[in-house]
Amino acid sequence: MSTGAPEPPDARDRPRVGVDEWVANVDERRETGTGVTGFVARTWERLPAVARLAILIGPFVVFPFVTNEGNLFRYGLITVVYALLALGLNVVVGFAGLLDLGYVAFFGFGAYLYGIMASGHSGHHLQAEIAIPIVVVASALLGLVLGLTSWRLLGDYLAIVTLFFLQAFVIFVNNANGGLSDFSYPFVGRVDLTGGANGLDQIDPLNFFGHQITTTKGYYLYTLAALTILMIMLFFVNKSRTGRSWRALREDPLAAEVMTVPVNRLKLLAFMFGAATAGFTGTIFGAVQSGAFPGDYDVGLLITIYAIVILGGLGSIGGVVIGALVVNGVPELLRSSTNARFLFYAVIVVALLVAMKPWYRAVLVLLGTIAFGAVVHAIAGAAWSRSTAGHIEGGGTFGRALDHWVLIPTHASRLAGWAYFALIVAALLLTLVRGWWRAIALIPALYLAAFVWENKLVEQVSGATRLIMLGALLVVIMNVRPSGIFGTSRVEVV
Amino acid sequence: MGRTLLCDVLHPVNWSLFWGELVSGLTLGSIYALIALGYTMVYGILKLLNFAHGDVYMVGAFIGFFALQWLGGPLDTVVTGWVAVAVMFLVAMLGCGALGVGIEIFAYRPLRNAPRIAPLISALGVSIFLQNSALLLWGPDFRSYDTFNLVGVKSYSIGQNFFISNLQIFTIATSIALMGVLTLLIARTRTGKAMRATSFDREAAEMMGISVDRVISFTFFVGSALAAAGGVMFGLVFGQIFSLMGFTAGLKGFTAAVVGGIGSIPGAMLGGFLIGLTEAFATGYLPGGSTYANLYVFALLIAMFLVRPSGLLGSPVIQKV
Amino acid sequence: MALLELRGISKAFGGLQVVSDLDLHVGEGEIVSVIGPNGAGKTTVFNLITGIFRPDSGSIVFEGDVVSNLSPHTITTRGIARTFQTLRLFLNMTVLENVMVAAYGNTRSTIVEAMLQLPRSRREEKEIRKLAEEKLSFFGQRLMGYRWDQPAYSLSYANRRRLEIARAMATGARLLLLDEPAAGMNPVETHEITDLIGKLRDDGGYTILVIEHDMHVVEGISDRVVALDYGQKIAEGSFEEVATSPRVVEAYLGLRKAETK
Repeated sequence: MSTGAPEPPDARDRPRVGVDEWVANVDERRETGTGVTGFVARTWERLPAVARLAILIGPFVVFPFVTNEGNLFRYGLITVVYALLALGLNVVVGFAGLLDLGYVAFFGFGAYLYGIMASGHSGHHLQAEIAIPIVVVASALLGLVLGLTSWRLLGDYLAIVTLFFLQAFVIFVNNANGGLSDFSYPFVGRVDLTGGANGLDQIDPLNFFGHQITTTKGYYLYTLAALTILMIMLFFVNKSRTGRSWRALREDPLAAEVMTVPVNRLKLLAFMFGAATAGFTGTIFGAVQSGAFPGDYDVGLLITIYAIVILGGLGSIGGVVIGALVVNGVPELLRSSTNARFLFYAVIVVALLVAMKPWYRAVLVLLGTIAFGAVVHAIAGAAWSRSTAGHIEGGGTFGRALDHWVLIPTHASRLAGWAYFALIVAALLLTLVRGWWRAIALIPALYLAAFVWENKLVEQVSGATRLIMLGALLVVIMNVRPSGIFGTSRVEVV
Repeated sequence: MGRTLLCDVLHPVNWSLFWGELVSGLTLGSIYALIALGYTMVYGILKLLNFAHGDVYMVGAFIGFFALQWLGGPLDTVVTGWVAVAVMFLVAMLGCGALGVGIEIFAYRPLRNAPRIAPLISALGVSIFLQNSALLLWGPDFRSYDTFNLVGVKSYSIGQNFFISNLQIFTIATSIALMGVLTLLIARTRTGKAMRATSFDREAAEMMGISVDRVISFTFFVGSALAAAGGVMFGLVFGQIFSLMGFTAGLKGFTAAVVGGIGSIPGAMLGGFLIGLTEAFATGYLPGGSTYANLYVFALLIAMFLVRPSGLLGSPVIQKV
Repeated sequence: MALLELRGISKAFGGLQVVSDLDLHVGEGEIVSVIGPNGAGKTTVFNLITGIFRPDSGSIVFEGDVVSNLSPHTITTRGIARTFQTLRLFLNMTVLENVMVAAYGNTRSTIVEAMLQLPRSRREEKEIRKLAEEKLSFFGQRLMGYRWDQPAYSLSYANRRRLEIARAMATGARLLLLDEPAAGMNPVETHEITDLIGKLRDDGGYTILVIEHDMHVVEGISDRVVALDYGQKIAEGSFEEVATSPRVVEAYLGLRKAETK
């Protein structure tokens, strides 16, 4: 009565005895998405790993030869540095499932330690081939010590301990400059370790066996090489016993434990690996900036790296690189308010077209919003002239067109504040309605969004607004796709 | 010779400093306790670290500030000083209660069955969102409650070394009163019983007819309201509030909850006072003083994890299969 | 000497005494069944043996060594592996990977060796793969071929149970603890499981301790049966002896009607 050798369900040359129609057609039904995204996803999965790596890294290699130094630094080098950091965090959070909220402290530790070993400030000038291994090992050890403190409770408590560690680190580096209120260290007495609030300056450029890296292009290619090597190594780790057990412990720590996997030890290992990666990246950053400054290693950076990991998909190596591109590239683009404005409206239009099905509904909403806005603008302009007296700075033709559409009152600040609040409430309420009601409600909501944007958000584009977007993005992504955009959606044991 | 040594040890006790730091610690501690309560209640029911809680505290402080402005400002209040304070409390507590409920509905509820890390990330997102919205709307500057003009600051003393101000008495007393109300609520009312049941076993509670969604919403409401009260108190006692104040206060509130035993309400209160006293005495007595005070609190946290991971009053976590 | 010996094991949770002064032994090559009504403490005994809980008193001895205070992963590497009543597979990993994970305790290559693809890492990887394929082949063709690369969540229920057993085998264990292996199976599958357990002992050389409710299975496989109720042993012996023991009948069916007045 046994069923015999199993055939793949799409075997065509056997008689389908006893198999019902639905099952028999299984090869015609696929689980991946429809349309363009599905096609891309399927092609991507069929490529061999080498090809995928080449596609991801290729543009990065070409980039320095097609752009100027300023752009190379802002868009290129910083992106690659962030990608390195995110890759390390991905191991901690994505592979082992630990919430490490002090991660950037290891980044800072690496930069400062390198600076202590090789800077004009400290007077030592160790060469990179000696200094970097020391930093990597020291960072790993620091990770070990920190991880051990919550050994039995790795999990929620680790999050708090690490967050506190980051605070402690920032306080420490801000103050450890040998001032009178400081500790007197054994053997060396009062020492200016970190330069205090002004930072540890005059850090040496990376010096390998006598060759110094001094240009942006040089650092960029060096960091890119490091990133590529790390990606390759992580790819191998993923297929090894360590990678497998990390994935197993992410799935079900108890089952993993009784299947010979020493769960706590592996969590600690992941934590140390992340710390070492961050420390290594710190040496690069310190050398590039020629200094280590307390303000660089704060919660803002932590959130950014987390956003990259979440966006890229927990556990996905390639996704992290794309995440870094998006999370770094986009805010850089946003620094100029003209660009930011363009991006804001473009994102709204694209989001509508992608999310609203069928597509003509989205188009109707857009047209409706434009019409609604024009009408409101005309009425308001006629009734209270002050409500349209202000105007949009710059922005060219687009800006001028907007000027006639969005309400820009003079002295808008307080009103815009209330409008912001109203917009949040509106956005939340929109999630509660469906169908055509949602489409209709979207029209005034979108107009309100434009109003808030032009009168409030645009002012703070490089500061608060960016972080507001990041925060909202994190909440939205978690609600829509808890495994991240490029992560594979997972079946959960309930 | 022994006698001289003894004298050296006993003599130079600066009682004025001691009592000063004690009062200061208790005041600070009562605020931390209020924040800690919100953390511990939410963790007990949802096993979630609500990172956004500290920012709710901040919003509470600001609502109180704006309520004051609305009443005419500290110099020109429509009603007398303490009545204005009462209104500030009421508005802030209600407002933040609603905010807490809203956060739960939109950021945490959809993730009840998602992997553990998802609501934590979501909480992080809410926290950044709140912090930066405050920055955007209200700027990074300090806002002053101007308590001096509002209700006046009076100082009382016992003997030569013990001083306490009316605001400090108010803070400590009100906090204890609020905590007392909460304890009664949990122990004596049906809702309190429902809350306890839900935190033991959510599924079973649901099957017993308890509306788990409502219990959770209520928990968030109460926790957020308490945090708001703490925020307004902070504004009154310390005079100044700013958009980023939620971050460190939230951290310390959470530390207090953990030290006292997360999930335990008396633990949160005990933890709050302990952290407040640690901070005050560290500032007064230990090297590095106020700069490193936070580090000492951190060290206390680490020590607690090493010695007694479930906190002072918490019950050891049973690992279930 | 018995392969596994429980001596005076007791365990209480809060005020509830779940296991009470239990003595149990399993000889090498034996198949012993543990039966008892729900709540009798059977799964807790498994949890105690595998180190998930520590006994309040008593000791657990495996191959002469005391294992009651060791961590679970060490105990499994020593030679005791289990399956779960409610199935705990790594659903998002492939069938083959599920089995390969269990080989962790018997391999040594480190993360650095994997990163640099050093010889030992590559060699062990091949060996682990071969081991996993071999263990899966124990179940016939069901978990072979294209099935290796399918995610575990795509397997049918019966195949998932088989996969869990394969995973336990890959740990290199000599003693298998099977927790209700026939739960939820139809008569055909139940029959197959009964054959399988016998095959595990005869061809695989495993010693097996089984928790089971289905008396057909218990009758078909057991050398010896132990009955538990309220955490205590109430009968031990061959299937016939235990099935007809009055205490066992009472535990399952309650007191005889005449005696309930």
